[in-house]
Amino acid sequence: MTALIGAEADVRARGGDGGRMLGAAQWVAIAFLGLLLVAAVAPWLLAPGDPLAIDPGEAFLAPQWGHPFGTDESGRDIYTRVVHGAAPSLVIGVAATAIGIALALVLGLAAALGGRIVDFGVSRLLEVLFAFPGLLLALLVITVYGPGVVTSTIAVGLATAPGYARIIRSQTRSVAASPYVEAAVVLGRSRTRILSRHILPNAVVPVFVLVTLGVGQAIVWAAALSYLGLGAEPPAAEWGAMLFAGKNYLATAWWLTFFPGLAIVLSAAATTVLGRALQRRRPQ
Amino acid sequence: MHRRPAALLALTAASALVLAGCSAAEPAETPSTPVAGGTLTYATGFGEPTCLDPHVGGNMPQALVGTNVLESLFSQDEEGEIVPWLATGATVSDDGLTVDVALRDDVTFTDGTPFDAAAVVANVEHMKDPETASSTAILALGKVAEVTAVDATTARFTLSEPDSALQESLAQTWLAMESPAGLARGMDENCAGPIGTGPFVFTEWVQQDHVTLTRNEDWNSAPEGAAHEGAAYLDEIVWRFIPDSATRFAALQSGEVDVIDEMQPDNVVAVQEAAATGGDFDVLVGALPGASIRLELNSGYAPFDDERVRKAFIHAADVNPGIESLFFGTVDRSYSVLSSSTPFGASFESEYTIDSDLANELLDEAGWTERDAEGYRVKDGKRLTVDFPISTNQSIPAEVSLFEQIQATTKAVGFDVQLHPLDLSSWYGALAEWDFGVTSAIYTKNSPDVLRILYHSDNIQPAPSGYHPNHSHVSIPELDAALTEAGQTSDPAERAALYEQAQKILAEGAYVLPLYDHLSKIGYSTDVQGLSLLPTLQIPYFGDAWVQE
Repeated sequence: MTALIGAEADVRARGGDGGRMLGAAQWVAIAFLGLLLVAAVAPWLLAPGDPLAIDPGEAFLAPQWGHPFGTDESGRDIYTRVVHGAAPSLVIGVAATAIGIALALVLGLAAALGGRIVDFGVSRLLEVLFAFPGLLLALLVITVYGPGVVTSTIAVGLATAPGYARIIRSQTRSVAASPYVEAAVVLGRSRTRILSRHILPNAVVPVFVLVTLGVGQAIVWAAALSYLGLGAEPPAAEWGAMLFAGKNYLATAWWLTFFPGLAIVLSAAATTVLGRALQRRRPQ
Repeated sequence: MHRRPAALLALTAASALVLAGCSAAEPAETPSTPVAGGTLTYATGFGEPTCLDPHVGGNMPQALVGTNVLESLFSQDEEGEIVPWLATGATVSDDGLTVDVALRDDVTFTDGTPFDAAAVVANVEHMKDPETASSTAILALGKVAEVTAVDATTARFTLSEPDSALQESLAQTWLAMESPAGLARGMDENCAGPIGTGPFVFTEWVQQDHVTLTRNEDWNSAPEGAAHEGAAYLDEIVWRFIPDSATRFAALQSGEVDVIDEMQPDNVVAVQEAAATGGDFDVLVGALPGASIRLELNSGYAPFDDERVRKAFIHAADVNPGIESLFFGTVDRSYSVLSSSTPFGASFESEYTIDSDLANELLDEAGWTERDAEGYRVKDGKRLTVDFPISTNQSIPAEVSLFEQIQATTKAVGFDVQLHPLDLSSWYGALAEWDFGVTSAIYTKNSPDVLRILYHSDNIQPAPSGYHPNHSHVSIPELDAALTEAGQTSDPAERAALYEQAQKILAEGAYVLPLYDHLSKIGYSTDVQGLSLLPTLQIPYFGDAWVQE
């Protein structure tokens, strides 16, 4: 009896397991994401200017003192726009992933715990959705509901859901068959308690590691949709939209595309580095 | 009957004499011997037509690809004077209500049907048939009551009122002559490949990819100013659709295509600079006739149904600095609704001053006195929002950037301009429903009569295609009268006075904000020789072109 209770306690303690120290790359990633968070929440701290303020007389200035990233075709300061572009990109990334996870939780748990018929139905549905590339699925949603930031967020969220759902399903199934769940059942715990205290945390924690990776992916996808003219409308300071506007001047003014592109790459890279580190530390 | 075409015929004779050494059609290249054969690839940014027959609807994409297949009764020379093409001349009656058009008797359509007066009658009937869903042609033929064949080589146009622009209208590709047998096949088949008399024949249309034009071996109807008679040099032209201007330019540079249109201003400048020192590419630039590129303010609906609000917008929309920086000196600011290549344009620069104090005053007067948290003006709880649909097929990226600047400068006085980049059909849709506050439009027509098409109150009603050219929803009896009268008289001084009066009404009523000429910017590899712009619509003409190995 004490052994079983001990096992239960041990499971809960594993989350806090020490693991290795963070490396330099991880610290840089954390620092960058911290900066990104500041840019998203309080952009005026980093760039006090107006991202939409035009000055045609100052158009196409190369990076220089006063305009560290240069100016764009309407004389807007690119540094200010990149900083202010963090919020939409990050919000889209996080919100889309949240939508994806929420939907995936419902589908995954239903498939894993709902019995054979539900499992069969949900699994086939997921397979059908898997047959479409994620971005295509997102485009489909946008075609039906029209372009815009909100639709593209939902579209990216929906497109990522099948992947998460499948992971949650298999994770839940293996957790549900594990000895400690069996122990909890033997101990006579209620179904809700078993679900909330034993199955859910252990099935979902690994998914949160994937989420960190997913946010980076969602940022890239959101930028891709804006690049296609399906996300943020002009002249919004959004990285994908900035890339789109700047690409016409790729040959003559590289800085119009380089800096927003760099922001996208670094955000995706930072979340990936962090996600990998979390993956290595996750309880087995 | 007085005979007008005398001068015209003399001109033809004179130009025939110099035709051998004619250079009107040639770019400034070292003369070399034409080589027959080869394929030329053209990439257009104007979008893909939904129907290749320019009688149906009638827009630039159709005219561009159609001009090298379908020929017109008249053409224009470099000075804009009407010259004969498939016609040999025209005789106008004294009352101006009967126009006899004499036709060539030696021209045959590429399906073997002879070109004669019966063919002209069939074409005009086709254009005027509501089933054809024409807009450009039917509007241009508004005063033509009937066309009859007097004999095989004379077509008689009977008019309901005199039309000083008839021959100019007939010179446009949208009113080109097609084989009556081809027209009889029905709309679907004719749309897929209309049959003309030109240097090339439509042989293939792979939708969303390309159209193939193949040489017409029997071609004998080169237009005025052509460098040679007889079949064209090129075996075929592959007409591709590349909507993205950066991709299009990259395709030209990599040699994937030989000729592109709708070049970006920065690319034009770069290519011109390189060409001066012997680069591999060059540019042909011409100002398209008709209206200048301009913003049309929808005066039929709120908020621009109030003249004060329109004036406030025009006095706040500071475009000059943007035109300078975005267009790299390739265009000049225009204060005229007419293109610089169209006669009778009048500038009213003083109506377009930038004055934000005046704009603020006008908006206060109009009752837009409050401002919300974001600085936009509000009246009765409604924000001063102006929807601005942009056709991304018609507006190059530099122009879209200019519209963003207009959005920013008008925001200062409290306008909330909402930009909506749309594809061509969604844009037509927004216009048809009057679902816009302001939009940018182009209208190519080789005559000042374009003003009647754009601003006569009749054209608030949609044409059979669903398109209503009077986007500004202008309805002023004096304006209608001036435009109608100007279209009827052939006295130049009287026309000038009437057109000036019309443009003055438009400028003072703040219906339109002229921006600049619509330029035809054709980039080409210097391996392509003999390329020119046909003066009528400034469209690339390939009858004399060849590709150097």
